[in-house]
Amino acid sequence: MKWKVIEKSKLPALIAELASEYEIFAPVKEKSIVSFERLSSGNEAYLGFRNTKKPPKEVFFPQTEVLFTYRIGEKDVEIVESPAVKAKMMVLGVRPCDARSFVLLDKFFSFGEHKDLYYLEKRKNTTVVGLACNHPLSTCFCTSLEGGPFGKEGMDLLLQDINDKYLIETVTERGEELVKKFPWLKDAEKADVEKAKMLSEDAENAVKSKVSVKDVSEKLDRMFDDPLWDQIYQKCLGCGVCTFLCPACCCFDILDEETEERKRVRIWDSCQFSCFTLQGSGHNPRPSGKERMRQRIMHKFNYFVKNHGESFCVGCGRCVQECPVNLDIREVVGAISTRQVE
Amino acid sequence: MENLENSIREVAEKLLSEKKVDLIIGYERGTLPLRTTPCFVDKVEDIQKLVWNASCDANLSKYVVGRKEKVGVVAKGCDARLIAVCVIEKQFPRENVVIIGVPCLGVIDRKKIEMELGDREVLEAIVEDEQIKVKGEGFDLVFPKNDFLCDSCLTCKHRNPPIYDVFVGEKVPEITEANEFAEVSSLESKSAEERWEHFKEELSKCIRCYACRNVCPLCYCKICFVDQTMPAWFGKTNDLADTMIYHIVRAFHVAGRCVDCGACSRACPMDINLRELMKKTEKIMKERYGYEAGVSLEKVPPLGEFKMDDPQEFIK
Amino acid sequence: MIKVKTAEKEWNPKILAFLCNWCSYAGADLAGISRMQYPPNIRVVRVPCSGRVNPYFIIKALQRGWDAVLVSGCHPGDCHYISGNLVARRRFAVLKDLLEYLGIEPGRVNFSWVSAAEGEKFANVVKDVVQKVKALGPTKRLVKGVVPYGKP
Repeated sequence: MKWKVIEKSKLPALIAELASEYEIFAPVKEKSIVSFERLSSGNEAYLGFRNTKKPPKEVFFPQTEVLFTYRIGEKDVEIVESPAVKAKMMVLGVRPCDARSFVLLDKFFSFGEHKDLYYLEKRKNTTVVGLACNHPLSTCFCTSLEGGPFGKEGMDLLLQDINDKYLIETVTERGEELVKKFPWLKDAEKADVEKAKMLSEDAENAVKSKVSVKDVSEKLDRMFDDPLWDQIYQKCLGCGVCTFLCPACCCFDILDEETEERKRVRIWDSCQFSCFTLQGSGHNPRPSGKERMRQRIMHKFNYFVKNHGESFCVGCGRCVQECPVNLDIREVVGAISTRQVE
Repeated sequence: MENLENSIREVAEKLLSEKKVDLIIGYERGTLPLRTTPCFVDKVEDIQKLVWNASCDANLSKYVVGRKEKVGVVAKGCDARLIAVCVIEKQFPRENVVIIGVPCLGVIDRKKIEMELGDREVLEAIVEDEQIKVKGEGFDLVFPKNDFLCDSCLTCKHRNPPIYDVFVGEKVPEITEANEFAEVSSLESKSAEERWEHFKEELSKCIRCYACRNVCPLCYCKICFVDQTMPAWFGKTNDLADTMIYHIVRAFHVAGRCVDCGACSRACPMDINLRELMKKTEKIMKERYGYEAGVSLEKVPPLGEFKMDDPQEFIK
Repeated sequence: MIKVKTAEKEWNPKILAFLCNWCSYAGADLAGISRMQYPPNIRVVRVPCSGRVNPYFIIKALQRGWDAVLVSGCHPGDCHYISGNLVARRRFAVLKDLLEYLGIEPGRVNFSWVSAAEGEKFANVVKDVVQKVKALGPTKRLVKGVVPYGKP
């Protein structure tokens, strides 16, 4: 594992050099909102954020994605063009929780016989440069979900802010290859590495919010008909804020669009929308907020655990911050973990 | 404020214990500073959960439509007006809701505080004596409350609920010297091109989460127009046309019923100023048909009736 | 796939006209029978009453690339269904005000009362609308596909 350092003042130059080879997505500040955008001459990366409003999942899984364009002829349907994937992409400034979400999404999109090539192709071609959290928010609970503010899962390089410099830690081979392209990067000194270690410990301790996820998964197996669900869902509005801003959530819908060219488009969908499970017959197996809220919690903390071995949540806290009615998933999990169940 | 909180609890307890209602819908403390969360109380023992403060910004009238039981709702002026609109539109019987009217001096706009603090997070907040005291990592600041109220509250004409069953506390003086349509008028004075560019920029941030629709008590349709298929009128993609049309049609659907409670703007995670658009519908209704939503249980919203002499200057 | 290139045509506005069956459609018919000349840019959709016109139709038309929309019905008081046009009048007022506030150019959405005897009026209304729309240019603002899909 090689440690390098770069002065903060030199980072824009490094990004500019990278931009000549890679298509870079980085956090960009627009008034009060920081979100991942494609870097171009019109914007620049902003790394002073706590966490971005929208998660970086949209780099690999855009909210609106054209799957293919087609034309209906006399006797057949012709697929006219498929979108090409950029050869070299980079997503820079990803917090460890969001990088960890890539690992979860990988499991989801490569599960089973049919792999999702739209997601996987982009993922294969992308280098992930993480940015460690020196100051977790009060709503962060990554440490309860196998993560941490200096976690390295899901990324190729981790940038660590040690005041006037960034310590660059290579995590994967791809990360090492990238660092080799910049021989002018200085090697880190022992003091730098130790400073980062200290900041890492401070940050871990700063994650005060603890959510007892471990006991919950098995318990949920026995709670499908528990009356607790009757209370939890009441204030939920059924909007899509929690699902759209969640780095792990990835439900989608597929539509055919009738513009000049016909397109098959994939768009984000939310299990909280009332029509999510509305069937062609008119029947809806999840007719009220109760079933939908139950499904959300069970998917995140039970079904995904059974299918893939871990919870489908990274503890980023966006759903807690942005829910219009302050429905706090930490409270829900807490209520479940303290619930007396046979 | 404390008196109001105790009075609300007293009223709620009385209503529940006398079985005048089966459920009380109010506010309780949230899990984050400067937040409250809707609270559903059906047992007298839980009454102490209810709170009342300047962070009671949720629109509780949302939770009334669709209920079969009798409910008592803690309602600010805007909430009470929306309940009235839903009653006029026959969404539930008037006798099934007890409106606990509470005078409101405005709710705090968390977004204004976030703008002020930038990347700093509020860890503790106390609101007292017209001041908001916020503390966090490396800061301890005091803000004058009136500078951080929601925009909709700054021009509110009904701080006292116009319709109620029980009134808690004393009536507060109404604002008389505020032009509620100032923002709208300023946009109207711009050219069509400028307005288009402005709305395009604002609405391109939209992530179609439908928080604005779901937080609005007037959006109670079982299947929203945007979810309709066969035919699918408008798309759900992020294409700018789809997004703008969603907002235009939603504005049209709430025209004449919207009371500018501000919940849609508060709920938007992308900080889109939706009030600029919704407020225009209020202005149209006031100027064309002399109508104000939710102040009377008798008057029908303008798009639900017509008169022979309606203005028609726009018709050739 | 063979592409055949044709000469670049000068843009001509395409206007969608919803005409109520009892008054405006008959008025348009009268204009035709009387050989009155008016621009051929309108495509007519006959509806039973102007009250049948859902604001969705107008917005959808603009989204699909129609350069302008005209809705025409009976004069108030003359509606075949008594009050259809009165219901419509309020609806259209609000829709037009809202669309123009958003920045859709005035002149894209038009309304008129044309009775069955007013063939000349119909022709004049169409002339007027076409002239205004020619000055505005092709519709762009609500057309789908203008902004590339997907961000980032």
